[in-house]
Amino acid sequence: MAKIIACYKWVTDEADIRINSEGSIDFSKAKGKISDYDKNAIEAAMQAAQSIGASAVALTFGTAKAKLSLKDALTRGPAESFWVCSESAEKADGAATAKVLAEAVKKIGDYRLIICAEGASDTYARQVGPRIAARLDLPCITSVRGFEIQGDVITATRKLDNRTEVVKAGLPALISVLPEVNEAPIPGLKAVLDAGKKRSTEFKLQDIGLTDADVAPRTEVRDFKAYIMNRKNIIISADTNADKVKELVANLRKDGVI
Amino acid sequence: MSKDYAYDAIIIGAGPAGIACAYTLAKNGKSTLVIERGNTPGSKNVTGGRLYTYALDMVDEGLAAEAALERKVTHEQIIILDGNRSISIDYHDPSFNSECKSPQSYTILRAVFDEWFANKAVELGATVACGIKVDGLIEKNGQVVGVVAGEDNIYAGIVIAADGVNSLIAQKAGLISDIKPHAVGVGVKEVILLPSVTIESRFNLKKDEGASCLMLGCTEGIHGGGFLYTNRESISLGCVFVVDELAGHGRQVHDIFQELKMHPTIYPLIEGGETVEYGAHLVSEAGYREFPKKPYKDGLLVIGDSAGFVISTGYSLRGIDLAMVSGIAAARAIIAEKDPVRVGPVYMNELEKNLLMPTMKAVDGYYDILEIPRIYSSYPKLAAGLFEKLFTVDGKVPRSMKKEIRGLIKQNGLSAWQLIKDGFRGVKSI
Ligand SMILES: Cc1cc2nc3c(=O)[nH]c(=O)nc-3n(C[C@H](O)[C@H](O)[C@H](O)COP(=O)(O)OP(=O)(O)OC[C@H]3O[C@@H](n4cnc5c(N)ncnc54)[C@H](O)[C@@H]3O)c2cc1C
Repeated sequence: MAKIIACYKWVTDEADIRINSEGSIDFSKAKGKISDYDKNAIEAAMQAAQSIGASAVALTFGTAKAKLSLKDALTRGPAESFWVCSESAEKADGAATAKVLAEAVKKIGDYRLIICAEGASDTYARQVGPRIAARLDLPCITSVRGFEIQGDVITATRKLDNRTEVVKAGLPALISVLPEVNEAPIPGLKAVLDAGKKRSTEFKLQDIGLTDADVAPRTEVRDFKAYIMNRKNIIISADTNADKVKELVANLRKDGVI
Repeated sequence: MSKDYAYDAIIIGAGPAGIACAYTLAKNGKSTLVIERGNTPGSKNVTGGRLYTYALDMVDEGLAAEAALERKVTHEQIIILDGNRSISIDYHDPSFNSECKSPQSYTILRAVFDEWFANKAVELGATVACGIKVDGLIEKNGQVVGVVAGEDNIYAGIVIAADGVNSLIAQKAGLISDIKPHAVGVGVKEVILLPSVTIESRFNLKKDEGASCLMLGCTEGIHGGGFLYTNRESISLGCVFVVDELAGHGRQVHDIFQELKMHPTIYPLIEGGETVEYGAHLVSEAGYREFPKKPYKDGLLVIGDSAGFVISTGYSLRGIDLAMVSGIAAARAIIAEKDPVRVGPVYMNELEKNLLMPTMKAVDGYYDILEIPRIYSSYPKLAAGLFEKLFTVDGKVPRSMKKEIRGLIKQNGLSAWQLIKDGFRGVKSI
């Protein structure tokens, strides 16, 4: 059966990240999760697969830690999952990640559509989707907020600044979707139990014809620092609610907000 | 593509009760499904916490030694607070909890502990499905045969309700009534980060040693008390209030708790720490006297907090260990008795055999003492006043202690007769 491949990233759960007083960031207690926007990408693959009678599969590139993601991804519906496991994922940039995913897509084969999220919830660099498409020489539609497949053609609505654009492309193609493309449902009990019975395939880099040197990043993250926004620290302390509202409105006017 | 699933046992809730039960069942080859509404086991749970480790070893010999625990408790403290004053009692025995004897209790963080414990059950073959809430039971001819979660029905030979205090499942099965405001407390708790060396120096601890501390007189006269446990790199500080008294009191739990944090005896212990977690949870305050007549029905057993297995004596709070022991009793009953209609009485028998019911009965008298309203306000005042007189040296002729005490009794709106009555009740109850 033809496949629709949803790519996802196992990211650090931002809820567990702690910012120390001097602005350094502590990841030590943080757990992983599937990047929030990728949950929509997986759901988009599920819906697309159903509409054209294809099989949705999930694909990720990650370190050993990403093993935890496989069951979660499968819980969301895909028939099977693929995981390129390499410690190089830790430092991979968009180019390296796209190279790995493109080779994995070739290995999986027989695909009609590849779906990525517009960006990952940790870096939001928006590179991986377009770069995979370029490597595989596929038409690519980004910023997709809705799409439909008819025969061999995908018609997608892109969201631009203050308007939308409808774009058509022939399949196979790659789209990168915005979270508003669908509402990713919370998996039910049977979906969770089913996931335990599905197949997961692990690839090493050499299985997809790559070496560590191939995935060496060309951009390097040197430092993480917390960005501290200066708050105005205005406390509205009038006695009655009416006066509080007056004071609030006056403050907002002063700042030109209203 | 969903298949139909059927298990020997479905357990609702991955707290200590549910996991201990799942562990024992899986170890004995039963196909077991645990359904937990939190995204990970422990993610929704709030506890003090201290765990009495005998219970883990009862689940499996040697389990306590490898468990995800914080510090072994070597200091048992009681602090009586009144206004800005306090009286601290610190029981320390260095041989207590020493290497050769198995340490009897450890402080724990539930998010870490529950996840570790659940993984242990998974290693033995149990399935733990997280992020799923059980909505109800499936009954056939008055017998429970499965559970409903969202749109899914899953069937099992037996269902175990381990969904904690105020168990909706046990209520739906008609085994317990809706929660009674005098029989539950609301607990609030913060986890406050501090470097381990700071904790060790503030509490006078060696590495890995920990303190457990219960506080009286910090609830504005409401039936309840405070607690503090030292973890490796954090302090768990919290307060419990019985719900019906709180309702009429007028002040917010949060405000009373803030005052406890700022108390001159408590603040130096947590100073400079960062609060990383705030939680609130109910805790059963009922004991044996409110225990359900029948914690089971055909095809269903009720364990842990859902059945009310909590002991609160004022100087100790036990729920996690009892939850585990009840989970083991349920599992043993299921292993011994194949017929889901006959397993209930076998479960009751197991609860007797592993001493859980006798323990609940033995300490039931404490609830009589804890119902004396005076111990939450007048008695702490009386005690603090007494110490004040005892330690005051001002060059004047000291009054006789007898007179001082009489004065204090009067001053605090008490009478000698009341004191004698309460004392008598105390002695009778324990
Ligand atoms: C503030 C506070 C301090 C405490 N301190 C201590 C202490 O120091 N030592 C001690 O021994 N005990 C202490 N206790 C008591 C102790 O926490 C409980 O007795 C113990 O957690 C009971 O375990 P349990 O497995 O029965 O229930 P729980 O630990 O409450 O577990 C129930 C589980 O069921 C899940 N669940 C509920 N409903 C559903 C549903 N419908 N579907 C799926 N899952 C569901 C919940 O998410 C939860 O994970 C304290 C309690 C409180 C509130």
